[in-house]
Parts: sequence; structure tokens; C-alpha cells
Amino acid sequence: MSERKIGVYVCQCGGNISDYVDVERVRQAVAEDPDVVVARTAMFTCSDATQDEIADDIKLDDLDGLVVASCSPKLHTFTFRGVARRAGLNPYRYTQVNLREQDSWAHTDDRLGATEKAIRLVRAGIARTRLLEPLDPTVVETVPRALVIGAGIAGLRAAIGLADIGLGVVLIEREAEVGGHVRELGTMYPHDRQGQELISELLGEVRRREGIALFTNAELVRKGGTFGNYEVDIRTRGDSNMTRRFEVGSIIVATGFDSYLPEEGEYGYGIPGVLTLPEFKKLVDASEGPLVYGDRPVRSVAYIYCVGSRQGESGPHQYCSRFCCTSAVHTDLELRAKAPKVHQYHLYRDMRTYGRYELLYNDSREKGSAYLKFAPDTPPEVQRRGDGQLEVRVHDQLASQEEVNLDVDLVVLVTGMVPRSNQELIQRLKLPVGRDGFFNEIHPKLRPVETVVDGVAICGACQFPKTAGESVASGLAAVSWSAAMLKQGRAELDPQVATVDPDLCTFCGVCMEACPYGAIGQQELGGSRQVAVIDPATCKGCGGCAPLCPEHAINVLGYTGREVEAMIESLAAGVA
Amino acid sequence: MTATLQPDLAERVGMDPAFNPSACMNCGICTAICPLGLRHLPREVFAYVVLGMEEEVLQHQEEVFSCLLCKLCEVSCPAGVHITENVRALRHYFDRNVFRLQGR
Ligand SMILES: Cc1cc2nc3c(=O)[nH]c(=O)nc-3n(C[C@H](O)[C@H](O)[C@H](O)COP(=O)(O)OP(=O)(O)OC[C@H]3O[C@@H](n4cnc5c(N)ncnc54)[C@H](O)[C@@H]3O)c2cc1C
Ligand code: SF4
Ligand code: SF4
Ligand code: SF4
Ligand code: SF4
Repeated sequence: MSERKIGVYVCQCGGNISDYVDVERVRQAVAEDPDVVVARTAMFTCSDATQDEIADDIKLDDLDGLVVASCSPKLHTFTFRGVARRAGLNPYRYTQVNLREQDSWAHTDDRLGATEKAIRLVRAGIARTRLLEPLDPTVVETVPRALVIGAGIAGLRAAIGLADIGLGVVLIEREAEVGGHVRELGTMYPHDRQGQELISELLGEVRRREGIALFTNAELVRKGGTFGNYEVDIRTRGDSNMTRRFEVGSIIVATGFDSYLPEEGEYGYGIPGVLTLPEFKKLVDASEGPLVYGDRPVRSVAYIYCVGSRQGESGPHQYCSRFCCTSAVHTDLELRAKAPKVHQYHLYRDMRTYGRYELLYNDSREKGSAYLKFAPDTPPEVQRRGDGQLEVRVHDQLASQEEVNLDVDLVVLVTGMVPRSNQELIQRLKLPVGRDGFFNEIHPKLRPVETVVDGVAICGACQFPKTAGESVASGLAAVSWSAAMLKQGRAELDPQVATVDPDLCTFCGVCMEACPYGAIGQQELGGSRQVAVIDPATCKGCGGCAPLCPEHAINVLGYTGREVEAMIESLAAGVA
Repeated sequence: MTATLQPDLAERVGMDPAFNPSACMNCGICTAICPLGLRHLPREVFAYVVLGMEEEVLQHQEEVFSCLLCKLCEVSCPAGVHITENVRALRHYFDRNVFRLQGR
């Protein structure tokens, strides 16, 4: 039996655990273990008072292992690692046991069974802790340069922010021109400035900064290297068909969205005079006085909202595109200012001019536009009559409660945002894609621009539908995330990664094929013997390789074969 | 029933710049609060005006003239609809178009 000094804390979670588990019995059962020198229960282990108590125990009893049996490791692993660190105990000698989600909440009808399961779970935690060795984070040096992919409004603004904070920037744009969708826009909400103007101002700012290397007609064709020192190959098309290599410490993805393109016949799309919102916006932006479409004056317009968004079960785009209600209302006002006599009818499902954009909606109604509400199961129908007139038939759910026929000159389909097709980039960077096809952050509130890929952030409308202002805000968030990482010149990585025992490895190659992150390479030992070697900066500690190795040469630190076996033995042993 | 629309009805009814039935956002507070329990005025009749459903407007002559102009609805309206001013404009419209009264 090893001689360790382990502290065990069993949490009541204010009744969440203690209502279904006899925590005192658990405490007594594990206190018998010769390596356990302190065993306590607590009302809320995560409270400041109990954290202090644990820290005091660690110092007084010179603990060399810590077990907290409370809630999910997702919630408090870092909390108690922090307690250990503050008290001078290596944080990787800590084990979090999940008595809440995996025990008390799952067995509310069986107190005895839940209590015995708790004893096994805590004993398994102790068995692991007994074998834990101190670990130190892997420290990598970081290159003070960022790659920004996509020069829409988000990417342009991010590049300027990075340069101003003293980081080098490589900014690449797939198209011949920068600016993305905003370049195509005239008057924008909420400030009524021209999209083209905003982009040329930003481009001027980019050009003024020596630290930014801008490449248009350019794409990322390879990403190599490891976190902190990614090697990226940028290929440019056109006159100079060439590939350049850069080292970058972080990558910011700002590749934006596509506008939804209706199918032929969807709300009459394909009939002359049935336009998408971007098409109509262009028409209004370009018009000086009364609106004309195909040589004919436009006296009336019907907008149909939520086209390609909020599709429910029937389509892939189940989300609200967020910008389109406001954009349609704003375009109504823009047109009204140019051609006050045009009758504008808005056929909407729910009006989502959130925040201050409500004022635009009020303004549009006040000035005379008509708003009708339709139900998703009775959508409007668009037809072209024999005389060429467009006719929109809709059942108004509001005041009139009637079926209404609108004769109009133009129908505007208020189309939403859809994910841009970017399959190669997704594969090259291993970007996490959500069910809706947009890129996913780690946590929508607390880590809103980071992805699970180390050193890779997302911003702008490639993440979810955003307005230009929201896109820029997230771009600047990605700038501060980059700066926090790259300005230190070093980053710490979790040391719980896989290692190969070179004495056992026969270099069969099974692990190399299994690793989803490409972390395993090959190394020549003395006598030209080849063995596998795992890069600690690339390995995620997922454990995919370890059980496949026929020689048992691979161990994940913190979850070695011995540690896992000891846990299984404790779980399987009797409780008495 | 499918309605026939007169897109310029709102312009014809409302000659006063204060006329603003389209500002209504259909919350229904006015209907809930009306001491006479008017069912179609203000909200629905205003919607008929905005959409240009002239026949439906004409069907509600009685309500248009029953309104007390007490303004209970107007002070509670969250959208700033000039309800009583609009009702006056509607009465004026009936005067001219139904009762054929002359002058303003
Ligand atoms: C009709 C319409 C009107 C709008 N009006 C307004 C408004 O008035 N106010 C407002 O705030 N918002 C408005 N918006 C929303 C606004 O367009 C978006 O918020 C904004 O464009 C998002 O910026 P972005 O940089 O994230 O994406 P984008 O504008 O899509 O730019 C992304 C850029 O990345 C590039 N790219 C993509 N993939 C790659 C790749 N693999 N490699 C390199 N480059 C790549 C693209 O070519 C593009 O230049 C409107 C949108 C539409 C459709
Ligand atoms: S913003 Fe409005 S039009 Fe766009 S999807 Fe949402 S509800 Fe529909
Ligand atoms: S633990 Fe996972 S990420 Fe690390 S080398 Fe093994 S398979 Fe690759
Ligand atoms: S209270 Fe005002 S906004 Fe609400 S329904 Fe009545 S008139 Fe319309
Ligand atoms: S002003 Fe007319 S509609 Fe409004 S509450 Fe009074 S009686 Fe009813």
C-alpha cells in the first residue's frame, strides 16, 4: 500500500445530493482508507468558506492528493484545481467525483442504492488520486502574428484592431475585392451611412498600417505546425499564382454568410417583379426619385418576411436570421424618403426589430406603411395574373381577420442568412460546425469567440446571423482574445496528454491512424529504431489512441492504464 | 370573403396631418379598455382604413359615431395613435361621402 495523504470532501449540494445520498455514511466509509487523512462533508463545497477550509487542511496536513465529491467536473474542476494550487498542492493531483448528475439526481427513488454507488464512486476517485503524479502545464511560445480569414466588415475591423495592439496581421480575402456583403450596400441602419463608404474607409485604414499584409484572391491551402506556431500556406490566384508561408500564433475566421436564395416558384420567385431583399435593396439604393422596375413605375410593394428562415421542421434553416425584419423596415423608410407615394405592405410572422430598431418599425407605421401578420401554416401566395399584375393573397391574422388580395408592382422576399459553403476551410482548420451549419463557439456566453481548436477563433456572421455592428463587436472580441494569448509570448496547455513509452513501441502505426488531431509523428531512436512520438501541444488527451496500442505503450497522463484499472477495481469491489 | 382594396383610402379619409391609424401595432389595449365595449373601433376599423378596405369601413358607421371621444384608449395606447383625432377624421369622411354634407 502506498502512503499518501489524501483529503476527501463530500458535498451535500444544499440537499441536491444529501436528499438522496447519506453523505455521512459515505464520509465514514471512505475515511477508513489508510491513505485518507481528512474526510469531511460540507453544505456547499464550492463556497468560499469551504474552499478556505480545504486550503487550510492541505497546508496543515501536508496533503498530497485531493478528492471533491460534488457535481459534474464540467462545473468545478477548475475551481478546486485552483484551491489546490493556492494551497501549494499540484493541481493535477486533484480528482472531481460526480455525485450529483451521475448519482443523486439519477436515483432519487433509491437512497440506499444511491449511497452505495456514491461510496464506490468516491473510492474510485481516491484510487485514481493515490496514483496521480504532479504535472506541469505544457508551455508553448507564441508567434505575435495573427491570420484573419475573410475581409468582410468583421475581418477588416479585426485586422485593424490587431495591428493597433502591436500584432502582425495576415489578412486574406477569397474575392478580388474586400468588404463582403457590406460593400454591396447603400444606406444602412442604424446610422444611415453607406456600406461602400464604410468599406473604403476601413480599407484605407488597413493600407495605412504596415503591420497588415492583405492578400485578395487568396485562400488558405494548408495549416501545419502546432498551437502558438501555426504554419499557414496562402495561395493567391490571378497574375501572381503563388503560395506564401507564414507563421502565426492565432487564426481568426471571419468568412461571413450567404443570402438565402429561394427555390424557383417559392413565393413566386422567378416571376418578374418578385425580388429577394438584397436585390430590392440594390434597386432602392440605386434609385434617385420615384422607383422604376423594368421601365415601369413602382406604386406598391409587398414584403413577405422570414423567407428561408424559421423553417420549422420543414427545412434546414430553423433559426431566425435576426437582421432581416430591421433591414426590410429600414428599406421601407429609405424608399419612402425617395418616393413617398409608394404603398408598402409588410406581411410578417413576428416583428423582430429588437432593441433600438423598434424605433424604425414605429417610424414606418407612423408614416403609413401597412403591416399584416400571417400564420406559418397559411403563408401568402404570389401569382401573376393574365394582365401581368402581381397578386399576393394573404390571410391577415390581425385586425381585419380577412383574406386580403393585394395588387402590387413588386414582391420582396425578405430572405435570411444561410451558412456560406466553405467545406475546404472547415476541413483544413477542423472547424466545429453546428447543426444549423454556422460555426460553433465553445460557450455562447463565457467564451463567445473561441473554438475547441486551440488558437482558432470565429467572428462575424459565419458564427450566426448578425448585423454589421454585432459582427464588428465579435471581431474585436477575437482581437482581445488573440492579444491576451499572443502578447504574453507564451501559452499554457493542459498537460493531461498522451505519451508513448519508446521501450514498448514497435511502431505499428495503429495510433497514428486513430488520432483525429494528427498529433502522432515518428521519431528515430538510436540504432535507427523508429517509434511513435506524440506532440504535447497538439494532443487533446482524448484517449483515442491509448486503448488501440497492442503493446500498451500509450498512456494519457492523469488517466494512465494503471490509474484507470485502479478506478475500475474500486468500482467493482463490494461496498461493505 | 376576399376584400377589394382601395390603396388611397387612408389618404382620402385623413386630411389632417395628425391622422395616423397606421401607427397602431395591434396590441388590443384600446378594445379592452373602451367603456362602451366597442368591438371594431379603433383597432379593426383603423386596419381597414390602412389596408384600403372601404366597404368594411362603411359597415362600421354606427361604431364610428357611437365613440364618446373620451380618450381612455388614447391615453393608454402604447403606440401614440391619435385615436380620437382619427375617429373625428373618419366621421368627417362619412359626412362627405355618405351623408354628402358640404364644406369642411
Ligand atoms: C440585404 C442586406 C442588408 C443588410 N443591411 C444591413 C444594415 O443596414 N445594417 C447592418 O448592420 N447590417 C446589415 N446587413 C447585415 C450585414 O451584411 C452583415 O452583418 C455583415 O455583412 C457581416 O459581416 P462579415 O464580415 O461577418 O461577413 P461577410 O460580409 O459575409 O464577409 C465575409 C468575407 O469573407 C470572405 N470569405 C469567405 N470565405 C472565405 C475563405 N474561405 N477564404 C477567404 N475569404 C473568405 C468573403 O468573400 C467575404 O468577403 C444586411 C445584410 C443584407 C443581406
Ligand atoms: S428577423 Fe424577422 S424576417 Fe428575419 S427571420 Fe427573424 S422574424 Fe423572420
Ligand atoms: S490522446 Fe487523442 S489527441 Fe492525443 S495523441 Fe492520442 S488520439 Fe491523438
Ligand atoms: S391601444 Fe393603440 S396600438 Fe393598441 S390596438 Fe389600440 S390603437 Fe392600436
Ligand atoms: S375614445 Fe371612443 S373608442 Fe376610445 S375608449 Fe372612448 S369611447 Fe372607446
